[in-house]
Amino acid sequence: MIREISYSLSELTIDVKYLSSMLGFPEGDLPEPFGEYVAQAIQEAESLCDIRGAFCVSENCKFSTNNNHILVEGLEFGVGKTVAKELRNATSVAFFICTAGERISSRSQELLSGDDPVLGYVFDLLGSIIVESATDLLQADIQRMAFSEGLQITNRYSPGYCKWNVADQHKLFSFFPTNCCGIRLTDSALMHPIKSVSGIIGLGADVSFRDYTCDLCNQVDCFQRSHRRTI
Amino acid sequence: MNELLTKLAECVEFGKINLASPYPPQMKGQEGADEITRQALEEGINPQDILSLGLMPGMERIGVKFRENKVFVPQVLMSAKAMSTAMIHLKPHFLSGAAKQKGTFIIGTVLGDLHDIGKNLVAMMVEGNGYKVIDLGTDVGSDKFIAALKENPGAVVGLSALLTTTMASMEKITKEIKDALPEALVTIGGAPVNKEFCSKIGADNYSPDPQGVVEFLNTKIA
Ligand code: B12
Repeated sequence: MIREISYSLSELTIDVKYLSSMLGFPEGDLPEPFGEYVAQAIQEAESLCDIRGAFCVSENCKFSTNNNHILVEGLEFGVGKTVAKELRNATSVAFFICTAGERISSRSQELLSGDDPVLGYVFDLLGSIIVESATDLLQADIQRMAFSEGLQITNRYSPGYCKWNVADQHKLFSFFPTNCCGIRLTDSALMHPIKSVSGIIGLGADVSFRDYTCDLCNQVDCFQRSHRRTI
Repeated sequence: MNELLTKLAECVEFGKINLASPYPPQMKGQEGADEITRQALEEGINPQDILSLGLMPGMERIGVKFRENKVFVPQVLMSAKAMSTAMIHLKPHFLSGAAKQKGTFIIGTVLGDLHDIGKNLVAMMVEGNGYKVIDLGTDVGSDKFIAALKENPGAVVGLSALLTTTMASMEKITKEIKDALPEALVTIGGAPVNKEFCSKIGADNYSPDPQGVVEFLNTKIA
């Protein structure tokens, strides 16, 4: 069964402190014109966003003997050692997809290549924050459903991270109808709209939720990693 | 050195666009790249010197700071905006041949990939360091790169990719460029790309940041 949910911007928690730090102001005091830009972008985002998410749960899942793969409904996902370890005790899995919609990116694009690249960049960052925050809500929905059945959930993991090949997106998307939530996948496994995420969550009586840390990721020169170190 | 050029370099480094711009706070109320470039031209300073001794050093300093994580993307965009505002005044001099750019850089995000920001940043930084930049956009295949190279002999190509899946496209494009034009230089970048991948696909350079590509260009075509 697939559940599709729409969210409004006001339901989401927009982490302005995080946005400020990504703009280069970790203390959170935004000098002009950044404060106004952020306020303007958040206000405009209300009408720009089409925030939607969907998930489906499958109980037909098992791990391959080498422990780096998981089989769901007969489809093999090479999730890699790190993710497999987190999912190991799951008795079912939820696949999810979530998007902030197309228009926030087109607005960002238009500004970036036009008169106000900085405002365009604020929209770009905001789009990423919105989709991540909406995915938090989607995850909470999955968690509520699991709790009601006496199950726990793992954290969420996405194809493309932790040695999980992003090409597995095609298998993940086969669990959803075409154009579900308005998201489409290109041959190269890129999602449209750009501000979209996908992933898996493990459910079971014996799984546990571990915070996602930079140590799990192999991108050593990530600007977010070095950035986090300075704040 | 002329005081105006020193000031101009500062405007670019700190992203001071014009008098009206409130950014950066410490330069509020002061003239920006717009007014100072105009003034420099009126005072008869050579357009080439305005570019090479005023604008470019400012852009280089912000590029280095970005590499060292001392500033973030928005500050770089502010600098690029200050730079492009100044360039509006200089454009006629380039067109007339009174001032010259160092060479041509062709950039695009590879076929199958639509990610833009990183590529744009590289384009702005390279332009700010005195090169002519031809931005082919996103989702670009080898045909377009090769056509642009044929139109601009001696230009260097920059390829950008966001996902590991589109790195395959980068490999294909690099090979096809090299087959068609063996002399052409290809430099690559983007989050999932690294040095090993660069040597594996036969590209000429990998840089994790825009400043790296500027340095590569400076050694190859400047
Ligand atoms: C923000 C972000 C997101 C946001 C927004 C994405 C967007 N494109 O707008 C969201 C949350 C939506 C997202 C989603 C996904 N993401 Co993401 N995301 C990032 C993150 C953290 C930052 C990207 C960014 O905006 N960088 C800022 C710009 C300025 O940097 P840049 O583009 O890299 O460019 C710089 C350099 O690379 C270089 N450069 C770039 N091009 C060139 C070219 C040349 C010639 C040179 C010299 C240099 C150069 O210079 C630029 C300036 O410094 C990166 C990790 C990272 N630290 O890079 C992951 C990352 C790109 N994402 C990743 C993944 C896997 C995904 C998803 C597939 C996950 C999923 N399954 O949901 C999706 C895909 C989305 C889609 N539409 O298909 C992976 C990709 C690796 C891979 N395996 O392919 C990364 C690298 C994370 C990781 N650690 O593995 N993502």
